[in-house]
Amino acid sequence: MVENRPFLTFLAHLVLILGVAFVALPVWIAFVASTHDQATFLGGSMPLWPGSNMWETYRTILTDGVPNSGTPPLTMMMTNSLIMALIITFGKIAISVISAFAIVYFRFPFRVLAFWIIFVTLMLPVEVRIMPTFKVVADLGLLNSYAGLSIPLIASATATFLFRQFFLTIPEELVEAARIDGAGPMKFFRDMVLPLSQTNIAALFVILFIYGWNQYLWPMLITTDEKFYTVVMGIKRMSDVADSDPQWNFVMGSAMLAMLPPVLVVIFMQRLFVKGLVEQEK
Amino acid sequence: MAGIKLSAVKKTYPGSSEPAVKGVDLDIQDGEFVVLVGPSGCGKSTLLRMIAGLETISAGEIVIGDKVVNTMEPAERDIAMVFQNYALYPHMSVRQNLSYGLKNRKMARSEIDRRIEETAAILQIGDYLERKPRALSGGQRQRVAMGRAIVRDPAAFLFDEPLSNLDAKLRLHMRGEIKHLHNRLRTTSVYVTHDQLEAMTLADRLVVLNNGLIEQVGRPLDLYQKPASTFVAGFLGAPAMNLMEAEVAEGALMLGGAALAGGLQARPGRVTAGIRPEAIRLRAEPGNFRLDYVEELGGTRIVHGHIGAQRMIAQTDLATELSDEMTAELPGAELHFFHAETGQRL
Repeated sequence: MVENRPFLTFLAHLVLILGVAFVALPVWIAFVASTHDQATFLGGSMPLWPGSNMWETYRTILTDGVPNSGTPPLTMMMTNSLIMALIITFGKIAISVISAFAIVYFRFPFRVLAFWIIFVTLMLPVEVRIMPTFKVVADLGLLNSYAGLSIPLIASATATFLFRQFFLTIPEELVEAARIDGAGPMKFFRDMVLPLSQTNIAALFVILFIYGWNQYLWPMLITTDEKFYTVVMGIKRMSDVADSDPQWNFVMGSAMLAMLPPVLVVIFMQRLFVKGLVEQEK
Repeated sequence: MAGIKLSAVKKTYPGSSEPAVKGVDLDIQDGEFVVLVGPSGCGKSTLLRMIAGLETISAGEIVIGDKVVNTMEPAERDIAMVFQNYALYPHMSVRQNLSYGLKNRKMARSEIDRRIEETAAILQIGDYLERKPRALSGGQRQRVAMGRAIVRDPAAFLFDEPLSNLDAKLRLHMRGEIKHLHNRLRTTSVYVTHDQLEAMTLADRLVVLNNGLIEQVGRPLDLYQKPASTFVAGFLGAPAMNLMEAEVAEGALMLGGAALAGGLQARPGRVTAGIRPEAIRLRAEPGNFRLDYVEELGGTRIVHGHIGAQRMIAQTDLATELSDEMTAELPGAELHFFHAETGQRL
């Protein structure tokens, strides 16, 4: 529908600008806050323009950490978050693409049952099964390890389900043509299924990376060693100090940095995304 | 190259009580172009897919060349298939599409290149070897799909309604090309279609299937001139043959109490009589034929009308004058007689 009414155009822009401001303003405030020293906040006023303390703030949290709230340097926490997010992302994609392939293309006993069992796990996110999962992880001796951080989060059905739905749209004839061309199941998987799933994998990468990066409750539960702290839980620890005022400039600075990788992933993968969408078969 | 032999081939799909193919015997000679034709659900595609190895065989035996292929994988049967929706690999260029099957057979790079050049020359697809399928038109995709079969140089080509996704003009053109190609390559071909015109024009031998069984096998013209049953009679030819419940008495064909044609050798009794529209001779003088409407085809006319209560379609040239009341003459030699109950030719 193409309409050209000045008032509607104005209204549309107004709504969009308000929306952007609504989302962007808190980010801006956080950024501004990270550039002032702590005293500014304790004075009770909230500046709207960046101060002069930016370099100092970021240097401190990145290299020294905030010792009086027990947080290690941010570089380390961010590395931990990155490792955890990447293991979750790649683990989930690898497992789900293979299991979806099995469910769609192979006829084995209890195939439908297998699918439904996987499907039912959709109803059981970590938060629901947190006690038994913690017990399992603890018994396996995985507390304070990257495996413990990521493996319990890898087990979920969303991606499997997504790949299954996509594989079902691959025409049967393509499978048959490949069979006639002498492609066995594994060859078909490598030569047809994976290249065709490229866009889906890219989309899932974005979603899962952010999902993994933003994990808060689970890392909080199973890490007691500073070496395995992730950045999201680190922010919480920073703002949660006993006996003194939280150092808001450090908290906000950490928040800014914690936001960065997901934003980069979205920006970078978006191009792959759009390319995939445009190249999609009619 | 090789012949294909089907003996008592049956297919019952799991969970279905009635078999889709109920025992088909067919001997396809080396180099022959055989067309399987029939209405949808007659089992023609199932039969083709069993030859290809994409469906299991419930009973019977299929031999390609001199090997029983019943339990062989499609890739081991040395056949190539052209699919209705082309089934090109969308993420591969035309060249990769053509070479994929050869690579999987561990063919030497130089031999693959040589074959692709050769195939590209035959099909005139050389200009877009590096393009992806989505950048090709329907006709070009169809060529590439055929190229993927030719490049393999298989014992037999299997075509599964390859032209039904094309528009009418292109379909006609590609039909000619397939015929031409077969004359050149002489590879055994099995072609499935529901389009009787396509079937007639392409086939060396035509197999008409109905309800999982072969109705008739033969050269297209033989089937057209001597259909073995009312089914074949009604299926081949456009417009279709006129079929009427009638009676033969004293050497005359009686329809609704009036004699339509005389001097017949046929046995007296109830019959189903058939006559091709082009065999009916219409004259302008008032008589037994009531004209309903006319379809102009340009070179000829199709005249729809009634003789008594019986609908009748006639094809005439443009010189024939038309009027509401006409006389239809049914030459005795052009009449086909079928058993009134079984529909078999008498």
